[in-house]
Amino acid sequence: MGLWSSFLTSLGIIKRKVNILLVGLDNAGKSTIINGLKVSAVPQTEVVPTVGFNVETFSTQHRLTFTVFDMSGQGKYRDLWEYYYPDVEAIVFVIDASDKIRACVARDELETMLQNKVLRDRKIPILFFANKMDVEGGMSPSECSGALGLEEIKDRNWTICATNGITGQGVGVGLDWLAEELKY
Amino acid sequence: MSLKRDDESDQSLYANLDKSTVLQEARVFNETPINARKCRATLTKILYLIYQSERLQTKEATETFFSITKLFQSQDIPLRQAVYLLIKELSTVAEDVIMVTASLSKDLTAKSEISKANAIRALCKITDASMIQGIERFLKQAIVDKNHAISSAALVSSLHLFGNSKDVVRRWANEVQESVNSKGGITQYHALGLLYQIRQHDRMAVIKLVQSLSRGTLRSPLAYCMLVRYTAKIMDEEEGNRAMYESLEGWLRHRNEMVVYEAARAICNMRDVTPKELFPAVSALQLMLVFAAIRTLNKLALSNPASVAPCNLDMENLITDTNRSIATYAITTLLKTGNEASVDRLMKQITGFMSEISDDFKIIVVDAIRSLCLKFPAKQGVMINFLSNILRDEGGYEFKRSIVEAIFDIIYHIPEAKEYALSHLCEFIEDCEFTKLAVRILHLLGVEGPKSATPSKFIRYIYNRIILENATVKAAAVSAMGHFAVEVPELRERIRVLLTRALDDNDDEVRDRETFSWPTLENGLVNYLAHPELQRAPFDIAAIPTVTRCVAAPGSADAQRAYAAAMEKIPELAMLGDIFKSSKPVELTESETEYVVSFNCRNTINDVVLENVSVAMTVEATTTSSQPTCHWREPWRPSTRIRCPRNIYVVYKRNSNVTPVATFGNTLKFVVKDCDPATGEADEEGYEDEYLLEDLELTTADYIQPTFVSDFGRTWEQVGQQHEMVEAFELSAITSVKDAVTKIIDILGMEACDGSYSVKDKATTHTLLLAGMFVGGIGALVRCRMAYDASSGVTLEIACRCEDPEVCERIVNSIV
Ligand SMILES: Nc1nc2c(ncn2[C@@H]2O[C@H](COP(=O)(O)OP(=O)(O)O)[C@@H](O)[C@H]2O)c(=O)[nH]1
Ligand SMILES: [Mg+2]
Repeated sequence: MGLWSSFLTSLGIIKRKVNILLVGLDNAGKSTIINGLKVSAVPQTEVVPTVGFNVETFSTQHRLTFTVFDMSGQGKYRDLWEYYYPDVEAIVFVIDASDKIRACVARDELETMLQNKVLRDRKIPILFFANKMDVEGGMSPSECSGALGLEEIKDRNWTICATNGITGQGVGVGLDWLAEELKY
Repeated sequence: MSLKRDDESDQSLYANLDKSTVLQEARVFNETPINARKCRATLTKILYLIYQSERLQTKEATETFFSITKLFQSQDIPLRQAVYLLIKELSTVAEDVIMVTASLSKDLTAKSEISKANAIRALCKITDASMIQGIERFLKQAIVDKNHAISSAALVSSLHLFGNSKDVVRRWANEVQESVNSKGGITQYHALGLLYQIRQHDRMAVIKLVQSLSRGTLRSPLAYCMLVRYTAKIMDEEEGNRAMYESLEGWLRHRNEMVVYEAARAICNMRDVTPKELFPAVSALQLMLVFAAIRTLNKLALSNPASVAPCNLDMENLITDTNRSIATYAITTLLKTGNEASVDRLMKQITGFMSEISDDFKIIVVDAIRSLCLKFPAKQGVMINFLSNILRDEGGYEFKRSIVEAIFDIIYHIPEAKEYALSHLCEFIEDCEFTKLAVRILHLLGVEGPKSATPSKFIRYIYNRIILENATVKAAAVSAMGHFAVEVPELRERIRVLLTRALDDNDDEVRDRETFSWPTLENGLVNYLAHPELQRAPFDIAAIPTVTRCVAAPGSADAQRAYAAAMEKIPELAMLGDIFKSSKPVELTESETEYVVSFNCRNTINDVVLENVSVAMTVEATTTSSQPTCHWREPWRPSTRIRCPRNIYVVYKRNSNVTPVATFGNTLKFVVKDCDPATGEADEEGYEDEYLLEDLELTTADYIQPTFVSDFGRTWEQVGQQHEMVEAFELSAITSVKDAVTKIIDILGMEACDGSYSVKDKATTHTLLLAGMFVGGIGALVRCRMAYDASSGVTLEIACRCEDPEVCERIVNSIV
């Protein structure tokens, strides 16, 4: 970033751009959550599974502009997440709270991610969304935390909140936390 | 602005790009926020490298690919365009390129139409057959998009996808049909192309498509050109189809020159086109006379010079054209259409700029001259001089080959030119970098040299090749020498000395020489040299048969030698003398049955070679009253392992001077013993069994050895008419002259001379010249004149000249 623009940014005159990586198993609700955040959010009738990835940019009230890389969660694309680790400042990991069966798969993927060399060196924060809170019989955030072994993450900041991707409920709370983390 | 700047600094920016430096530079893609201008510059460099054929490794490509995916966060449209371009380039090298599917699909809904069009192209490049259904919806929409850039991008992409996903693309036929009627010219063109691909294999559908469009709904000249080609193709698929000629002729009056040309060319290329049909097309071409038009006329001039002749005046104006390609075509067209008087002038003109045109055009010139020589034999002097001059020029293989072939043609067809042309070829091989050409020329020298007035003058050239060249050329030179030795008695002694020296050559070359076949002569020589007692008499070259078959068909000669070698090992058979002729193998059983027996007939005294256990032969029918007696040779009698092939030789003795035609019935006799499948050991006891084989025929051809006569005409005259017999036959079952030639050669088992075995596919008349030696050393010549006519088949007049009237009669009558 040029000197002039970082000066303006520090004064809060222009918004700082932050790259965020959005991961999680397929069908967790990542794309749905992002759609709800877009300013010009046209209510989407149906979400198609993401083939590869998508980039969305949106502003928040926190003087930040988020550029979110919404990754596909399908098995064959999970190995490709790592291409984006070096250039993001935070990771959002979406868990499908209604999918107890695949919680262990999510845990595996999380572990692989945390063991990645790039991320071991970069202590960027992780925001967990326990999504689909509206589904009855789903896991609570603390159950999710238990199922994925989040308590074992000691070397970086993280938090978990319950969300509803369709209504957007709970997403704001999580982003507030993230904005605080990313403040200088 | 920035583009202009790039242009100006093009030299310094792109001159010395290094791949690894540029790929390092690609780190800028990972920066936040994105500097669009810088990224674009780097993308351009990578693209430049790729367009310069720089190859990226898979790993490099994949890394680059993933870093450019990050550029999707920028909304800068020029940057996005560059990203599309690089995605397309990397799509075949990098891994996991489907990663950008979602991002590209999103761009399809973007506002920018140009992004949309390019996103479609990139998307289709990264999509594989399994993913295509996912984007089908977008593509179908895009095909009928009102924006021409978008619809044509979708159509062209579909055309590419069609190769691997025919069924999916076929489902879009309605959309494609709709866009054929689009207002956009380029869309029409691409839609028509795709629609044709989709319907291509349904002839009726294509005809309907072409007919409906012929009524003039198209606007795009490009689409019209396609339509003309499809029309021409439909016509070409069916002989004599002229149903659509009127459409073609109509298009000759199209307001767009491109369409006019295409239609004219289609007419010129019609099969069996008549002068009347050609007339409007040639007139149309004459009016434009652009490069393409001249090229078409040039080609037409080969087959229909008279139809092109009306353009001659206009062509004359072009022979000095500064565009040498146009001038070349103009001159060579004139050479083909003009009269003898203009030849010298045109040749002079073209000699002036031969050095300025490329090999491709030089070949065009040579081909024109080649056909000209045959047309105006009187001009051969000028032509040969011209050809031998350019033969000395620099040039590639194809060019040199075309010259050599032209000279060959002249040698074959213009006897007066032969000597002169041969001497030019001799000079050429003195310094010829193309082995293939040297070999062909040496072969020709071997064939034609001995017949020339002073054969001796060629010996030096040929012998130089033996000393100086690589093994292949050496071998060819030895063969050529052999020809001289055989045909020119005065030179024999000299050649013997030279060849003896050659025999001292190292093994390598001797081996090569053998593969190139002068084995007979060589064996003879070796034999001669190895036995001092033989040397008291001069080397009797007449004892070496001049079989040239082995040059034409080495396989059969090899087989013959193999048989000879096998039989020599059996004393009783060796006693019978040299093999006169090995006939073609005949299958006596269906090949699935276990007892495959191949049959060889040997003819000084006839013997028959059979494989496997034992064969009983009985004479079933014969043309002579004297009953031939059968003698049995059973070299061994295997008890088991029938599959393992062994030879059984059956000797059939014919009474002296009788050469009967016979049919043999054959029975395979053997003892069957059961084998223990586990140990493979046979039972002690067996039972006798026999197996009836197909009949075997002994025909006249089996008594004739193909021989080669170098100058058929002269020999024919020497034998004279007093020894001639003529018969005429109607071969109604044979449907072409070509077939007739093959059959006759087969039936008579003689050698075709003077290249008379080659017949054009559609020829209706032909003269076949055959030579052979009947058993007992009786030479025979045959001339077959044939004519084909659809109603009566092939009419054959066969004339045989042979000093033995009986043989003469035999040969003539063996046709029926
Ligand atoms: N009930 C419920 N369904 C959700 C919620 N979030 C997403 N979905 C649904 O989950 C499915 C998968 O969503 P998608 O965003 O494509 O998941 P992604 O693969 O992680 O991007 C869609 O059918 C969404 O409508 C949620 O909070 N509650
Ligand atoms: Mg998704």
